[in-house]
Amino acid sequence: MGFDFVGRKKIWFIFSGLVIIIGLAGYIMRGGLNFGIEFKGGVIFDLKFENELEVEQVREVLKDFKLEKSVIQPVSKQEVLIKGPSISKDEQKEVVQALDNRFVVDETRYIQSVGPGWGSNVTRAAIIALSLSLTGLLIYISWRFEFKMATVAIVALVHDILISVGIYALVGREVTPNTVAAFLTIMGYSLYDTIVVFHRVLENSPKMVKTTYTQMVNNSINQVLIRSINTSLTTLFPVITLLAFGGETLKDFAFALIVGITAGSYSSIFTASPLLVYWKEREPRYRALKEKFAEI
Amino acid sequence: MTNQQKHVLTLGFVILLVALAMVDLFVTHVLLEPPKLGLDLKGGMNVILTAKERKGTKITPDTMKQARFVIEQRVNALGVSEPEIGTQGGRNILVQLPGVKDPEKVLDIIGKTALLEFKEVKSGSGGAAGGMLLGPTELTGDALKKAQVEFDNLGKPKVGLAFNQKGAKKFGELTKRLKGKQLAIVLDGKVMSAPTVQTEITGGKAEITGKFTLDEVKRLVLVLNSGRLPVHLEISENRTIGPTLGSESLRAGLIAGILGLALVALFMVGFYRLFGLIAWLALAIFGATLFTLLAAVKATLTLPGIAGIILMIGIAADSSIIIFERIKEEVKRGKTMRVAMESGFNLGFQTFLDADLVTFITALILFLFGIGPVKGFALTLMLGVGADLFTSFLFKRSVLGLLASHNILTRASFLGAREAA
Repeated sequence: MGFDFVGRKKIWFIFSGLVIIIGLAGYIMRGGLNFGIEFKGGVIFDLKFENELEVEQVREVLKDFKLEKSVIQPVSKQEVLIKGPSISKDEQKEVVQALDNRFVVDETRYIQSVGPGWGSNVTRAAIIALSLSLTGLLIYISWRFEFKMATVAIVALVHDILISVGIYALVGREVTPNTVAAFLTIMGYSLYDTIVVFHRVLENSPKMVKTTYTQMVNNSINQVLIRSINTSLTTLFPVITLLAFGGETLKDFAFALIVGITAGSYSSIFTASPLLVYWKEREPRYRALKEKFAEI
Repeated sequence: MTNQQKHVLTLGFVILLVALAMVDLFVTHVLLEPPKLGLDLKGGMNVILTAKERKGTKITPDTMKQARFVIEQRVNALGVSEPEIGTQGGRNILVQLPGVKDPEKVLDIIGKTALLEFKEVKSGSGGAAGGMLLGPTELTGDALKKAQVEFDNLGKPKVGLAFNQKGAKKFGELTKRLKGKQLAIVLDGKVMSAPTVQTEITGGKAEITGKFTLDEVKRLVLVLNSGRLPVHLEISENRTIGPTLGSESLRAGLIAGILGLALVALFMVGFYRLFGLIAWLALAIFGATLFTLLAAVKATLTLPGIAGIILMIGIAADSSIIIFERIKEEVKRGKTMRVAMESGFNLGFQTFLDADLVTFITALILFLFGIGPVKGFALTLMLGVGADLFTSFLFKRSVLGLLASHNILTRASFLGAREAA
């Protein structure tokens, strides 16, 4: 018979609720997400110097430009990453010049400056993409499966996004356009996983004999369980190596993907399926089956 | 030989052909002409200019065309190899310049306001070529109201100019003084054309005629209009990636990809025993197909693209997992391994077809509406889904069928499964 996933739905819902509430609390306490300069505007310098130096020495120089509140991270003993507010391109030149005069810049590895308005552009494009893909997916799944499955799959998806956003708020990791791309991929993956489960439910439902919808969904989950675990693992392996060896940009992706894949695998079994059962068993046909065959 | 066997053999033959074609493509596109690397991997400058309205003006596709023209002229003047200029989302101009040595200078040049001037030609031969000695600025682009393509009675194209009130007066005085001489039209310090003044022009309307092709006239109109760009271009994003950072990122991405692939390969063999080897072959064909597709659409490899490829390794392995698990299930239900191998694919295929299509829909919308890095990522996902379906449908199906019909690997223990008692 296997494990009773659906019957313990209260436990899973409480668990999901707790994770989301903790994330939300983190979001409120930290005053929202830590958006990267691509969204709020600002400047990043990645400079490599000829000699070793301390972060505080760099801050000393930045004081002259009233940039001492910038985030200065050491990349290596000779390399620092400076993230500050938006400044003009002349000022950028002066900053690099001043640092060069003082410590001798060996290599300007990376400079990025973003005007304050650019973020709203990126955000608007992301929101358009998000709402369009949700609509597209709702239509496709309704057509291939059924409307209730489509709705539940998308609820599970929103659940994953809420959890991912919460975790981002909690750990305070920077949100970049790459994070947004990764979030959108999470959507694809979360649905991918839910669809594998629902496919089996759809296949099993005409074959229901002397059983309730709950039991049938439980069977379906148990049947695809090993596949779900193995797929999550094979997808996580490369993403974890990405996090470990991937360099800054790839780490961005990897972190968001790890959070999302974990949430997506969880929600397809523990959120989407119980919700589907709850909704379907309000249909007279399945309610009757429930009254007749439910195990006490 | 049964029909079934013939069918399977034919499929096997098709795969061989496809594999050969792929090897050919792989050699020519990947080894001989390696894929283009994005700026984030080879270093360079990435500048996004956003058009801002001036008082009482609107941003139209036409004004964006003018703005882009101005930027193209400036970038060409820089002499950077392989610059790329494109428009994005209606009001952005994207400039990508690989391997720039002096990024500040570049920013100064492409970020400045376009300057159109009319100057007297003091000496030098006619034509738009250099070598002219020019007088001081007589008139700037502000004086112009509009320039447009017009045709004379014979249908020959010419440039029609209209000046505003103040401009018309100045232009009248200028043409009176310069009658019979050349007047240079200078954009950002470069002489674009130097027509000879035929007569004094007082009405504020002028025309430039000559042996012009329609394209030349259109270009001159763009030049004239760009001097009075109704929009203001602002640098909204500038990213400069040093050359060593780029190659380090590429190396890190490759290491992560290879390690990830190795882990997946180990897991597949650990869990699915000899069938894990089929999964290996499938992954190899998947990889070759994906690279061939990327080369075929001339995709530029970027960091987000690498992330997409690495994610696709997992999804490609999943379609094997779905099939293998299906075979195990069928065996558990009492079917022989041989029968299960034949039905396992068909049962599993429907599942990952739907799952793949959902991923594809998400990726397609991302590709159409995303900005910047998102696009490269979405493209690899879309092509990855294509490569996965190709590999599954052509390779996995026939390999399993072929093995089953030849009674090879038809012991459940080869899949790490137990035969039903």
